[in-house]
Amino acid sequence: MFEQEKARLVLVCQNVDCLARGADKIIRALEERLSGEEGVEVKPYMCFGACQDGPNVVVYPDRAFYSHVQLADVDDIANHAKGGPAVQRLEEGVDPSLKALIFELLDAGLV
Amino acid sequence: MSMERILLTSEAGPERFADYERQGGYTAWRRAVTEGRPEQVLAEIVASGLRGRGGAAFPVGKKWQIAAETPAEHKYVVCNGGEDEPGSRKDRFLLENYPHKVLEGLLLAAYAVGAHEAILYVNHQYQQAQAALEQALAEARAAGYIGPRACGSDFAIAVRLHAAPSTYVAGEDSAAVNSIEGQPAKPRQKPPYPATAGIHGRPTVVNNVETLANVPAIVRRGAAWFRSIGTTNSPGTMLFTVLEGVKRPGIYELPFGTPLRYLYEACAGGLADDRPLKAILPGGPSSGFLTPDALDLPLDYQAFREAGSALGCGVMTFYPEGTDMVDVVLQIAEFFARESCGQCPKCQFETQQLLRILQLVKAGKATRAALAMVDKVIEQSRGQGWCSLINMPGPPLTSALRLFPEDFARYLTNGGSPAAR
Repeated sequence: MFEQEKARLVLVCQNVDCLARGADKIIRALEERLSGEEGVEVKPYMCFGACQDGPNVVVYPDRAFYSHVQLADVDDIANHAKGGPAVQRLEEGVDPSLKALIFELLDAGLV
Repeated sequence: MSMERILLTSEAGPERFADYERQGGYTAWRRAVTEGRPEQVLAEIVASGLRGRGGAAFPVGKKWQIAAETPAEHKYVVCNGGEDEPGSRKDRFLLENYPHKVLEGLLLAAYAVGAHEAILYVNHQYQQAQAALEQALAEARAAGYIGPRACGSDFAIAVRLHAAPSTYVAGEDSAAVNSIEGQPAKPRQKPPYPATAGIHGRPTVVNNVETLANVPAIVRRGAAWFRSIGTTNSPGTMLFTVLEGVKRPGIYELPFGTPLRYLYEACAGGLADDRPLKAILPGGPSSGFLTPDALDLPLDYQAFREAGSALGCGVMTFYPEGTDMVDVVLQIAEFFARESCGQCPKCQFETQQLLRILQLVKAGKATRAALAMVDKVIEQSRGQGWCSLINMPGPPLTSALRLFPEDFARYLTNGGSPAAR
């Protein structure tokens, strides 16, 4: 109850498929860019259910679901996490009903 | 009610070759292959109403018919002993103690569908079972039952052993086909089903060990005799594995239609220390929980389905009062998350999310809203995988939530019962 939640979470899938597509490098790069950033936390996530579209990154509570993320996209995602604009080009592709479910899970505290 | 046994017929340990032959073993095989026709064997199995004992209860005759009617130069039959259902021991028990019964069933299946290659696919950890089968194969070859001219007929049949990995999905029929082809033992997308396109794309019948062990008696004594045991919908007998927490753990063969109470009280002796019964998981970790009033249900596929559960492959677990059902479903969720093979995104997602929700519940960190996500996660995943594993985590969890809400409520961080922590 007294734990201070970070204002913004950057969740990077670390499941088998996303890892095979380079999600380990993505999370390290994001951690590097965002280390020491006030109110932002980079966290591994177990699975967003969109393996074929991975690596997947979710910025919460902004409800941004980024798929097919490459190392070249990391700067833009980090910028978003710092309060910049969302990265629209990465928001295509993932099934809207799955996105809705993921955000509902996160809203229910399943972070 | 006839309490006749079909499978566990030996009173004195493992059934030896000579004893099996003396009791009519291999008569069905010899007569079928020398005097009979494949269609006769097939017709007998169709008429018997035998259903698969691996968990899905698919009509065996139908599966054989599909393979028999699919034109192909080469066909295969596989005895599926890839059993890795938690708590199940019955296939292993049959292989170790009745190898000839299983083998004769496999030979008859091969003859009925026109296959000349048969494979015994057996969990690699079942070393005693493998040894029993090796010996049975040697004895059957020496007796002329197996070979290029089986029993002196012009029917050629070769049989070999294939070691199955001990993962859960390795017991799925198309995963068995993959493993036999030398690929990782993971399920294939279906259709096509193995009966039309299995090993090397050829028709392949994959039958569970217990299923095949029923076949020799059916062919020898006839479908009408088999149907005199059990119920109309579920003819014959079934093996039930009752291992945990009861006074007399064991593997029991009972005719379908026997009340569950008979298995629980007369066979297993009830719970150890006479503890009162809280819950029953009648068909392994993918079945729904039932409450003690289910003891009056007849052991029958349909009756258990109508009661919101399933007989599965007959692994019965009885839970005493005082059991925390959150612990039980957490363990089941851990199992499915571990055994999901990783091929299907929705299955990975479902099994891991359900596990995460239950871990948070157990840790006292979940809200009622988090727990309510269970149904949505299951709904999102239903039927979205290549095999049935994706549909398995749902029934135990949703039934536990329905029948034992207070077990969950006391862990919730809000909206819990008056006893909330």
